[in-house]
Amino acid sequence: MTRFFPRLFWLLPVCLGLVLALRAQESAGVDLERIERATVYIMQARSENLTITCIGSGTIVRYDGLILTNAHHTVQSESCTGDTLIIAMTINLEEPPVPKYRAEIIQADIGLDLALLRITREFDGRPVDAASLPVLPFVELADSSAVTLDETLTLVGYPAAGNDPVLLAPSVVTGFMDEPGGNGRAWMKVNTLIPAPGVMSGGGAYNRAGQLVGIPSAAPAGVVSSECLLLEDTSSDGFINSNDTCVPVGDFISVLRPSNYARTLIRGAALGLTVQPITAPAFQASAEGAPAFSRPFIAPAVVDGLPSTVIGSAPAGTDSLYLFFDYAGMTPNTVYELRVTVDGVPNRVFDLPPVRWSGGERGLWYIGVTGQPFPNGVYEYRLFINGTVATSLTIVVGGAATVQPIFSNIVFGVLDDAGNLQGNGYVLPAGPIATARFVYQNMQPGIPWTAIWYYEGLEIARVTDVWREDFGPSGTYPVNIEPPGGLVPGRYRVDIGMNGLLSLTGNFIIAGAQRGVALPGVFNSIEFVRATTPREVTDASPASNYPDGAEALFLRFDWELIGRGIPWTLRWRIDDEIFYEQTVPWNSPESGADFIVQVDAPGRLPDGTYTVELLIRDILLATTEATVGIGQLAIDELAQPGGAQLRGQIIDAETGRGLEGVTFVLISDQFSVGDFTWLQEQIYALAITDRNGFFEIDRPLRIGAPYSAIIATDGYLPVAADGLEVAPEDTSPIDLLIPLTRD
Amino acid sequence: MRLIEVRGAATETRRQRQAHALTLIVAAVVLLYGLNLRQSTLEAVVPYVNIQAGITAFYPQNWLLDTAPDYVFRVRDMTRRGYKTTIQLSVQPVSDDTSGRNIADRLALTRARTFTGYSVLAVEPYPLRDGFSAQAVSYTYVSQESSPFLQGIPVVVVGLDIITISRGQALVITFRADAATYRQELPRFEQFLQALEF
Repeated sequence: MTRFFPRLFWLLPVCLGLVLALRAQESAGVDLERIERATVYIMQARSENLTITCIGSGTIVRYDGLILTNAHHTVQSESCTGDTLIIAMTINLEEPPVPKYRAEIIQADIGLDLALLRITREFDGRPVDAASLPVLPFVELADSSAVTLDETLTLVGYPAAGNDPVLLAPSVVTGFMDEPGGNGRAWMKVNTLIPAPGVMSGGGAYNRAGQLVGIPSAAPAGVVSSECLLLEDTSSDGFINSNDTCVPVGDFISVLRPSNYARTLIRGAALGLTVQPITAPAFQASAEGAPAFSRPFIAPAVVDGLPSTVIGSAPAGTDSLYLFFDYAGMTPNTVYELRVTVDGVPNRVFDLPPVRWSGGERGLWYIGVTGQPFPNGVYEYRLFINGTVATSLTIVVGGAATVQPIFSNIVFGVLDDAGNLQGNGYVLPAGPIATARFVYQNMQPGIPWTAIWYYEGLEIARVTDVWREDFGPSGTYPVNIEPPGGLVPGRYRVDIGMNGLLSLTGNFIIAGAQRGVALPGVFNSIEFVRATTPREVTDASPASNYPDGAEALFLRFDWELIGRGIPWTLRWRIDDEIFYEQTVPWNSPESGADFIVQVDAPGRLPDGTYTVELLIRDILLATTEATVGIGQLAIDELAQPGGAQLRGQIIDAETGRGLEGVTFVLISDQFSVGDFTWLQEQIYALAITDRNGFFEIDRPLRIGAPYSAIIATDGYLPVAADGLEVAPEDTSPIDLLIPLTRD
Repeated sequence: MRLIEVRGAATETRRQRQAHALTLIVAAVVLLYGLNLRQSTLEAVVPYVNIQAGITAFYPQNWLLDTAPDYVFRVRDMTRRGYKTTIQLSVQPVSDDTSGRNIADRLALTRARTFTGYSVLAVEPYPLRDGFSAQAVSYTYVSQESSPFLQGIPVVVVGLDIITISRGQALVITFRADAATYRQELPRFEQFLQALEF
């Protein structure tokens, strides 16, 4: 074996010189080509005849073919009836994408309009051999909470129905819109310098570091605002006309779903972890009646998901307004939209274009902005459901701030013997009484006020009074609800009015038995157990450590006094990172024992520390954890972003023509050419030239690692080199031109 | 114009004739040595021993060796242009009722799903040394470059599976090569089979 290498024709200077000399052109250090290649064009089609039913863009977010995109053009629905997803990729940057693979949906949140696909088949339908699937170019997710107003982003996607190459659309962040659960930025508003068509929906928005910060979203909103493309003669009548099925696409891109929303989906999918609530499988309640919005009102701020107060006008200089409204009959497939006019003129800054609904079937919702100056004027808010106006509201912004009586900052609990409010604020135990405490300011004696209590939307109590002088102008005031028979599990709301107008509203949940004064005992005896099937769980012994190679985890807990339909959250973490979170209506009896949840993965569970959390209204009510194997996730080197891509062309030195089928062996940085004994574990990556002599190393090269390379093929003198190193200042991709001399 | 006549040299001496003959002999010996060295290099083999699977094999030198859950080991000639000539060895558990033909059918069904244009050419008995009997399944399919970003031209591959059952497990020895060079490469595989111990 060792005799082979001394006879090699060493061309170290050639290779090394080329590595150092042939740099890519990008000056900013962002590997734009990698981003463009990671952007895919997605066609949903019917499997029987491959008729295209929906189209959009997507982004590869993991080397093994995990694709992040929108749900609205991938998940089967009334408007997207296809059952096959075809993935087209950019081969040449100046050309339209080419179909290469088929994919399947492995995770989807229809309401958030996010879906994760995995490449599972070749384009011709054969299963993809995971071992032979190349390391695909993928992008890194950024922390989208770090995006700032006026930041420049680049939107990347396919602008047309497969006719155009991938498009990079510069854009500027013009604002953030908040919704429940959005932590201030459920949506990022962007203004693109060139129009970004709706087909780019599902693609990516990148910051200056080339990291994915958001997913452009533009859901078709039915007949009113969406476009429908006639692409094929689906009726086979020889014409493309109104008899054919068209492909719906959304309007131009103006909002992004922050990438932080996708982290949980990606984490779970990358690890292959599946969570199954065995006792009551997760379900979405079917909506009753037509979707509707009602009771709109404006609040200047949000406190713990509730309006701080209710206002009818806002002073000049206002920079924060939230539109609250009740909703019912909504589904994740419902598309809603907010349009705002100021003095009759549409104002895109405060609009929300058509997006999917993510709030469940009924409840209280809000949408608003903060930190955004509101010019003086008359604001008309109009909410649309599936392209039709559902409700509207007008508010005046302007004028000097006036001193007015205010009710604000409502919180719920149970008063202790000393008169202090106890509890976690919004989830109270079943018992005889509950209290709502709110702040009042600038009150005058004699002002009429009311408190109306509701249970599951039905009025159950009403208090009407006038403000008394001994209350004083400012302070806090408690109002109680003490229904006959006590408070039964369910959803409660209180509306507090002043002078006949709504002034404050809040809601809370009654669940669980009373522990102490006001703490609810909802989930009890939560523990992991040692079992191999769900049937064994009831009699299984508790466990907190599982051996390496465990195939499944089983969780068991009891529950008490949870009303049917109460939204509860099951959250799983591995090594403190969330990989599963699902909020669904409670669908089991009011009380019971041994609720079973199973977590498994294909083959075996990855080592790590698994934590489960049970919540209602974002309040943690129970948690436990267990370790598998060493209690820590293994490092997946391929999943690490960064590095440089190496590619090139191998040519005949005499003719200059590319040589097909030649192998480029890149040896791991742990070995030199002299150490290499043709063992796979010594190889970092292999590449084989195509018909033009081009090759690509699919794994990115680590900066500063000294690699070696061998090129040996029939009829040519072999070439070998040590010390192939990528410097920090090198930009990716790195191109090589390697001439081979005939033997 | 002036003509110059060049005549042959004077009669060679005996020593000169001996020197010429010696030169030719040395050249022939060196050439033979070189050819022999080249042949021995080309036919040089490397041992592979897997105690767990009970297999000893000798595979061609400078072929790339790798292992995976699907097979005990695989070697490929990475210097070959186009499809890399491959020898692979895998084992499967079998029952008393399993025959070599059952294994061949199972392989055909599996490969038909994953290989483009997979077609079985022949299934016939194949005598192994030491009296072992085996089934030989020859087949063909189309192999394509897996990178989606390159313009790889598919290659027609011819394969040969030698299937034998021994001590409760089926041994599948696979040889694959470019259809254009299959016959030329086959002796390498036959040499491998001759040396294989299991």
